Amino acid sequence: MQHIVNGFSLGAVYALIAVGFALIYNILKFANFAHGGVMVISAYFGYFLSKNFHTSLFTTLIITTLFGGLCAVIVELIAFHKIRHNNSPLIYYFVSSLVITLMIENLIAIFKGATSYAYPVFFKETSFLFGETVISYVNTLIFIISSVILIILMWLIKYTKFGIALRAISFNLGVSKLMGINADGVIIITFFISGLLAGASGMFLGISYTVYPQLARIVVKGWIATVIGGMGSISGAVIGAFALGLFEVFLISNIGSSLSTVFIFLITLGFLFLRPQGIAGEIFTEKA
Amino acid sequence: MNSIIVFALINMFGVLGTFLLTALTGHLSFGQASFMSIGAYVSGLLALKWGLPFPISLLGGLIAAAMSALLIGLPTLKLHKYFFALITFGFGTAVAALLNHFTNITGGAMGLSNIPCKTNFLLVVISIIITIGLIRNFVKSNYGRMCIALRNDEIASEAIGINVYKTKLLVFVLSAIITSYGGVLYGSFVTYVEPGMFGWTKSTEWVIYVFVGGVNSLTGAVVAGFILNILPELLRFVSNWRIFIYSLFILIIFNFRPEGLFGEYEISFSMFNNVYKNLFSKLNHRN
Repeated sequence: MQHIVNGFSLGAVYALIAVGFALIYNILKFANFAHGGVMVISAYFGYFLSKNFHTSLFTTLIITTLFGGLCAVIVELIAFHKIRHNNSPLIYYFVSSLVITLMIENLIAIFKGATSYAYPVFFKETSFLFGETVISYVNTLIFIISSVILIILMWLIKYTKFGIALRAISFNLGVSKLMGINADGVIIITFFISGLLAGASGMFLGISYTVYPQLARIVVKGWIATVIGGMGSISGAVIGAFALGLFEVFLISNIGSSLSTVFIFLITLGFLFLRPQGIAGEIFTEKA
Repeated sequence: MNSIIVFALINMFGVLGTFLLTALTGHLSFGQASFMSIGAYVSGLLALKWGLPFPISLLGGLIAAAMSALLIGLPTLKLHKYFFALITFGFGTAVAALLNHFTNITGGAMGLSNIPCKTNFLLVVISIIITIGLIRNFVKSNYGRMCIALRNDEIASEAIGINVYKTKLLVFVLSAIITSYGGVLYGSFVTYVEPGMFGWTKSTEWVIYVFVGGVNSLTGAVVAGFILNILPELLRFVSNWRIFIYSLFILIIFNFRPEGLFGEYEISFSMFNNVYKNLFSKLNHRN
């Protein structure tokens, strides 16, 4: 029971990462590593905000997410804008996003050192008992906030004009441009939204663990979750993320954290071998 | 200075392996550096625990790397590039975790020390020259052309009868062998290896070198690999900022010269011939 609760709160954070990741994947068809960079920089931002100005959890969260969105837009303008206009092959986006993440990690290490920081405690009482399981306030809050964000996002994609434009672009960029969709605008807004998600997930990761430059690498968990869920499918990514979170908590408690990465690797490998289309089930092939 | 050049050349094996995989088939591997650690560890352990001579332990390292490349290549190369990239990433972290976990065999985070020193400057230089020659011939061979075809369009190249899966697997195993050869040389040059040395960042750096040089040019990969390996050592005076400067440099190249520094330019013997001919014809013309 305890593991399930912990797994769900970890899975919620992974779901935030995975959805931000899947959004960009949907429109530009590349795995956006720079997501990790945005995550880590907003985790630091949130830490110093709450440390220096003693803001409450919600104000910190809102300002940090906005900051994350802004960062993602800047990243888009620096790293991907020109590449997109040059019509370069997809692999360039990928490498460019890697470089951005390396750069942000390095910048943080220069200015703040490689040490880790712990977020200040936002609540006086840290946890409550439910039956025999210990449930921490922060984890519950993370779970609730993540779910709310995800539901709003689903609604946005399903029913608004922006969401329809997004899905059209994800289907075919060229044709949607011809149909009069402002592709540049939609892409920048998508980057902004994915940055919001990255900001929130970065701050939650900072609260659950500590803040350190290599936090960016947790983005790989989001990637694994999107692959398990089926590339590009947003609801699949959420399911994959929760499955991964539960599974990871279970592994760490049973065989220890040092070998759990090996098992996650083996299971991803096995999963790809047996069901490469992911949980969502859409077979993923390259268009000719 | 001597050892800086040797390290740069050993890293060059990784760059060449990455060139083979990334430039020829368009796949990204984030676990390429762990082939280097597999080579170094396996050959080092064979030499340490069983006292095997260098050539045999070298062979052992190469075979171990080829086997692990087969293990991850078999299920993933049938799928899309992104799955391959993800699995190689997982492979890299898994190898590091295993090396850290089995302390009694690999020495854990302390690393493996006292590997017999069998490598010298000359051996590294000769092997890198031979490897570059081999890769040049590979690129010009039937297989190399098949690879370039499938990088540009997998479906079309399948339609003209190229066995895409088999070719990709071959190239991946080959790149693993080349990289692990560098690892074996590393282990026996430094006489010490630790798991943290060959992480994700190392593999990424190699990919970046290949792109800076230009994906269509072996000369570019070699020159960029060498210069960018030496550059951090020369930039010691700005020690903290060097990775930043160098990422900035790469972003600028990506934005303003996406085909890489060298584009499709290659240095070859016939080039000198052409220069000579041109000069000659111009002289004739003047007369």
